[in-house]
Amino acid sequence: MSDDALHSPRARHGRAPDVFRPGGWVPMREYDNDEAVDFAIIGTGAGGGTLACKLAEYGFSVVAFDAGPYFRPLEDFASDESEQTKLYWTDDRIVDGANPLQLGSNNSGKAVGGSTVHFAMVSLRFRPEWFKARSLLGYGADWPLDWRQMWDYYTEVEQALKISGPVSYPWGPPRPRYPYRAHPLNAAALALAKGCEAMGIKWTETPLATLSAPRGLAHPCVYRGFCVTGCSTNAKQSALVTWIPRALAAGAEIRDLAMVGRLEVEKSGLASGVHYQRENAWHFQRARNVVVAGYAIETPRLLLNSATDRFPDGLANSSGLVGKNLMAQSNQAVWGVMEDEIRSYKGPPSLAITEHWNYEDKGKDFFGGYAYMSQGPLPQLWANTLTGARGLWGARLVEQMKDYNHVVGLKIVGEMLPQESNRVTLADETDQYGLRIPRVTYAWCDNDKRLIDHSLKFMSRALGAVGARDIWTQDDDTCHLNGTARMGVDPDTSVVNADCRSWDIANLWICDGSVFPTVGGANPSLTIQAIACRTADRIRVLARRGELEASARLVARPQLSREVSHAAKASG
Amino acid sequence: MNRAVDLALLGGAAVALSGLMVGPILATDPKRIPLQHQPRRPESGLPVRRARQQEAATVRAARGLNRAAGTLAASVLADSSIEHYRGSFKNRAMVTPLIVSAMTLATSIHGTSDMRPSAHKARDITYLLAAATGLLGTGFHFYNVGKRVGGFSWQNLFYGAPLGAPMAILLSGLLGFCSERLRESRAASRPEIFHLPAGRTIAAVAGAGLLGTSGEAGLLHFRGAYHNPFMAVPVTLPPIGAVLLMRAAAGKAGREHAFSRVWMRLLALVGLAGVAFHAYGVSRNMGGWRNWSQNVLNGPPIPAPPSFAGLALAGLAALGLMKEHPHA
Ligand SMILES: Cc1cc2nc3c(=O)[nH]c(=O)nc-3n(C[C@H](O)[C@H](O)[C@H](O)COP(=O)(O)OP(=O)(O)OC[C@H]3O[C@@H](n4cnc5c(N)ncnc54)[C@H](O)[C@@H]3O)c2cc1C
Ligand code: SF4
Repeated sequence: MSDDALHSPRARHGRAPDVFRPGGWVPMREYDNDEAVDFAIIGTGAGGGTLACKLAEYGFSVVAFDAGPYFRPLEDFASDESEQTKLYWTDDRIVDGANPLQLGSNNSGKAVGGSTVHFAMVSLRFRPEWFKARSLLGYGADWPLDWRQMWDYYTEVEQALKISGPVSYPWGPPRPRYPYRAHPLNAAALALAKGCEAMGIKWTETPLATLSAPRGLAHPCVYRGFCVTGCSTNAKQSALVTWIPRALAAGAEIRDLAMVGRLEVEKSGLASGVHYQRENAWHFQRARNVVVAGYAIETPRLLLNSATDRFPDGLANSSGLVGKNLMAQSNQAVWGVMEDEIRSYKGPPSLAITEHWNYEDKGKDFFGGYAYMSQGPLPQLWANTLTGARGLWGARLVEQMKDYNHVVGLKIVGEMLPQESNRVTLADETDQYGLRIPRVTYAWCDNDKRLIDHSLKFMSRALGAVGARDIWTQDDDTCHLNGTARMGVDPDTSVVNADCRSWDIANLWICDGSVFPTVGGANPSLTIQAIACRTADRIRVLARRGELEASARLVARPQLSREVSHAAKASG
Repeated sequence: MNRAVDLALLGGAAVALSGLMVGPILATDPKRIPLQHQPRRPESGLPVRRARQQEAATVRAARGLNRAAGTLAASVLADSSIEHYRGSFKNRAMVTPLIVSAMTLATSIHGTSDMRPSAHKARDITYLLAAATGLLGTGFHFYNVGKRVGGFSWQNLFYGAPLGAPMAILLSGLLGFCSERLRESRAASRPEIFHLPAGRTIAAVAGAGLLGTSGEAGLLHFRGAYHNPFMAVPVTLPPIGAVLLMRAAAGKAGREHAFSRVWMRLLALVGLAGVAFHAYGVSRNMGGWRNWSQNVLNGPPIPAPPSFAGLALAGLAALGLMKEHPHA
């Protein structure tokens, strides 16, 4: 079938799918492989998609590659958990360590739009102190970023995604009003709220990247709860329906089903382009700058796989830190059964949240923080949880599944500390592209365990307080991967600087969750996008000053850039 | 979903909506129609004629109020049918506004076609019942919001029972009640409601109603984040109308209020245009009008905006009365 997104590219011949119109297309500018584009970006998710949009709007020529397909949510997304596994990155990987990560659905996507196509839409700002975790809170590492500047970039992203959030947010310094109002709470969220009130802590409606009112051709949320298997209404403000259409309109090219296998570095020590596989053939795209945004596993894998004689340990790796300090976030849960029907699958899964333990430092025997949220597992995921985490099978499983509509749960997003021993390296095995696959090694440290323990005890009490019975804890789950190419102020202890520019190769940038020095207890995508917006602004400034590496005749076409950013402001 | 129930509901909504449309059509050129029905006696002297004219004006204003009350009742009938159906009539009392607003609508149609200068018992009772229902409904809705987790939080104001909605049937009842008092007033004497000048009282009631309704629209449009610039219309134009009516209520006798009358007509149009905008809003939900059975419940309430038209008609009736009875 020629229009099979999984097998043949859709973005070509000067057009790309119009995600808002069934069968529709939008024009797309295309670049020759031999034409050195200003930026070749690898990955079109939270980091790459955002950056592609912003750079194109600033007038740079951009080609963004994604190994995944270019989906049309209105047509391609079924209300079927099995079918939708097509969104996950399930290529071969090896996991090991004391607490091997379970990779796939809960942490990585493979599609234009990246993991945001099936993410849970929770859009949180970091607690300001986390940007100086080492100096202010005594753990992890400091970020080279100032929270006040990040506050402005958060605002930009919240506007771009029309985040639906509470009228006022109970924690942290003031923030502007969320562009859209919060969604109605489902019974699972109300259980969280009641639990918090019983425990004497604050709660609020979760700021979510899904529409509570129409936006252009995107429909408001219909509360069917298929979010983490891909939203078929376009209510979810993934990169696929926000940044990418803007990027195309501003002249970027998206190359779907294009797996980048190696970055090319010239004798001069500068990157000159990317080798990618598309339609069963390898090609080389020339570029003046290369941005890696493949997420915390694929980013270091690509850098390591691109080793040369001059950079035998991989690119951008003079610090030896590429692949190290991988941080998942703890994702433990407490589950129970309520007398009343809950039907937690209705609506986005995490409609209510408490960030109490992110902002409260008293009463903790651990560093870092956690948020916890209401949950809404779909039936298949729930059956998996019962078999995997609770060890149920056969008649007992069937019996428990009968309670599905009464199940209520609370789940944390918890901070895990950076450890160099948690890392991505290369295995000797190769994948379908002939590339060495990543080996992901992971172990929890004592602090991680204490945090998890604290959260499980607290949430168990909160669930008990709302009258749940048969309360049990799901002790082993993780989500969101970050780290592996941390940013910093010192080339010896970091891979990139505050602008996401690698210390070693002036025209190589890394712009995704890999650059996080710490993860905090908040879902990362808003921060990744905020960093991408900042990086784009910095690149524009550097280009204007002529400070993008000297050999690249890279000058943002000033006139175009002004026009485009004007147009973007007017339409945004 | 039960198709038959759907169709019955849609039919009900259609009847109610057509009732709404009739109102403004009847309202065109309100001065003329009743006068034509006045038997002309050329020999009558001037003072008698003046008294007759005033009496006609009073009935005309009364009928204008019936029309206003009917428009409001139709809006409530359609709106509460949809909203309470959406709430699955979880509480039996949720059928009350449907029955009462249907009765009020019928009563108002009766009143609109009644030229007699005297009050009507059954109408009076129905209107009082409507007002009482509005008060009770408001109480219910406050109770419903207050008992939710978080109490009177934004979440509950947005998604709990709408606090302002039952006020519409209260206003319908009040205006209908005023209408009956008008009919009772004797020619040559100043029409009064509870010893207050009738025209000014009605203007004040309609003005307050406009403010309240605007507040309700403001809250719900805030919930919709004013994503469409036209959503600002019902929170800007009606309050101006309210100020104009209040000014008329407090003003000296003998003013023409020409601008205020134009403004009321504009507000009546706004009420009708709101239906079209809300229908468009429904189309912007997943599946659009093809998926009407879901989106009519999900989208903006199509029958709500005509309450502005109802109140504007009441304002017009009051201003008309004050023209004929400068001290009313
Ligand atoms: C189930 C789930 C729920 C989540 N929920 C939330 C949430 O509620 N809130 C939140 O903030 N975050 C959430 N996240 C996390 C969030 O989606 C990610 O943190 C974020 O998308 C990461 O952004 P990124 O740019 O680093 O990578 P991604 O968004 O994953 O994008 C990386 C892209 O790069 C492509 N790629 C990788 N390597 C190559 C290569 N060599 N060549 C070509 N293309 C390549 C991939 O195909 C992918 O599309 C969730 C994630 C998942 C999986
Ligand atoms: S619940 Fe809302 S955001 Fe989630 S899949 Fe459905 S429409 Fe999309």
